[in-house]
Amino acid sequence: MPSFTSVEYAAILLSLKVAFTATLVSLPFGFGVAYLMTYCRFRGKVALDVIVNLPLTLPPVVIGYLLLILLGQKGFIGQHLLQPLGIRLIFTWKAAVIATAVVGFPLLVRSIRIGMETIDPRIIQAARTLGAGWLDAMISVIIPLSLRGVIAGSALMFARALGEFGATIIVAGNIPGVTQTIPLAIYEYASSPNGDAMAMMLCLVSVVISVIVLLFHEYLSRRMIRVD
Amino acid sequence: MYPLYKLPAMFAVAAGLFLLAATPLCAATISVFAAASLKEVINELADEYAKKNPAMKFIKNYGASGQLAKQVEQGAPADIFISANTEWMEYLKNKKLVDTASIGIFTYNTLVFAGMPGKASSMQDLIKLERIAIGSPKSVPAGEYAMEAFMKAGLDKQLEKKLVMAKDVRECLMYAERGEVDGAFVYRTDALQVAKNVKILFTVPQDLYPRVNYPLALTASGAKKTEAAAFFAFLKTSEAKAVLTKYGFQVR
Repeated sequence: MPSFTSVEYAAILLSLKVAFTATLVSLPFGFGVAYLMTYCRFRGKVALDVIVNLPLTLPPVVIGYLLLILLGQKGFIGQHLLQPLGIRLIFTWKAAVIATAVVGFPLLVRSIRIGMETIDPRIIQAARTLGAGWLDAMISVIIPLSLRGVIAGSALMFARALGEFGATIIVAGNIPGVTQTIPLAIYEYASSPNGDAMAMMLCLVSVVISVIVLLFHEYLSRRMIRVD
Repeated sequence: MYPLYKLPAMFAVAAGLFLLAATPLCAATISVFAAASLKEVINELADEYAKKNPAMKFIKNYGASGQLAKQVEQGAPADIFISANTEWMEYLKNKKLVDTASIGIFTYNTLVFAGMPGKASSMQDLIKLERIAIGSPKSVPAGEYAMEAFMKAGLDKQLEKKLVMAKDVRECLMYAERGEVDGAFVYRTDALQVAKNVKILFTVPQDLYPRVNYPLALTASGAKKTEAAAFFAFLKTSEAKAVLTKYGFQVR
């Protein structure tokens, strides 16, 4: 059995780091969008719904390619916004975070929305009639009551982020020890004639992490149902 | 509406057309698995050959030589295999998946560093760069040659975290073309044929890596097909060599 070198350990750590950061960064936005979709009526709601959910059905490669075209050295945002500021995203781990955040975002929003929709609207109305402003009502009623949805959504997004491949390989490249996540390392080993054993070992790590996260998610959703 | 009695006749015509359309599928197909750097050359050679033998259909699969070797090992239908180094040909030879008697050398190439003008002019300049694309040395020969050159030049440790691993030599060049990396290690022919924005900045000194050669062979299953053997023979003619020279390959 082959043993992991520092490159493989780096890939495992990086996968966790990218998934964690992407989930954390997306949380406030995900909560905001879910709040808008649940409690507000406005023009273009359907359009927002479609845009938010688009990454769920688009091939990740398309997302990666569009991000590359936007953020790359010759891309619109890359050339006019990032370069003057001296920010370089493509082929850094930050690009992997952006790619996974976009891909996992719809899962986060969906779960939070489900959490919010289970809140009895009369409780919120009661809070408002008792003099709480919308911010107060959000902090004291909506956030605590949708917390499980938020955590479940985060777990789901985290799991999805761990497996992100298509968008990541395009924008973050494949730099061992720097931007190479578990799926990218597996891909590299899988295309090498001598890499099967190592690919299998990394697959195993992948399965273990995913099972843990999904069990956690399952446990939370069960508790959510019981509470309701 | 057509009268009812005409329907069977129409079915017969439709069935006949369908059969006609299906016949080309029965024509001989030759499937060539070749290193990504050979793409244009093999395309042209196959086109030329197909002009003389119109019944011949080609299936062309280009990629990293190691990846192609693995596909052949896993049973992909290949008749002819052309690698960009000896390693992956030997690999298939040891597994008895290529016809040993047919192994020969198709052509030669040189490794260069291509990038935006002014970025670097020698191996030592590479340390100053931020991102360098090479083919993943696990399956891409161009990346393996590059790694060997780094090692011989004593630069491997300093460059370690700057290397973007591409899935084949053409993706490497694409990264440089987009300006996402400072430069890429590719073959001279890739830089000459495909590159638009990037230029060859320097040629890697030959004493740092073994000469790039492209061994070719009929696969074990391809050796049994006369059509494949005929195209294989065509690849060794002076006509084929002329095409190789046109694209900047060395034939001896």
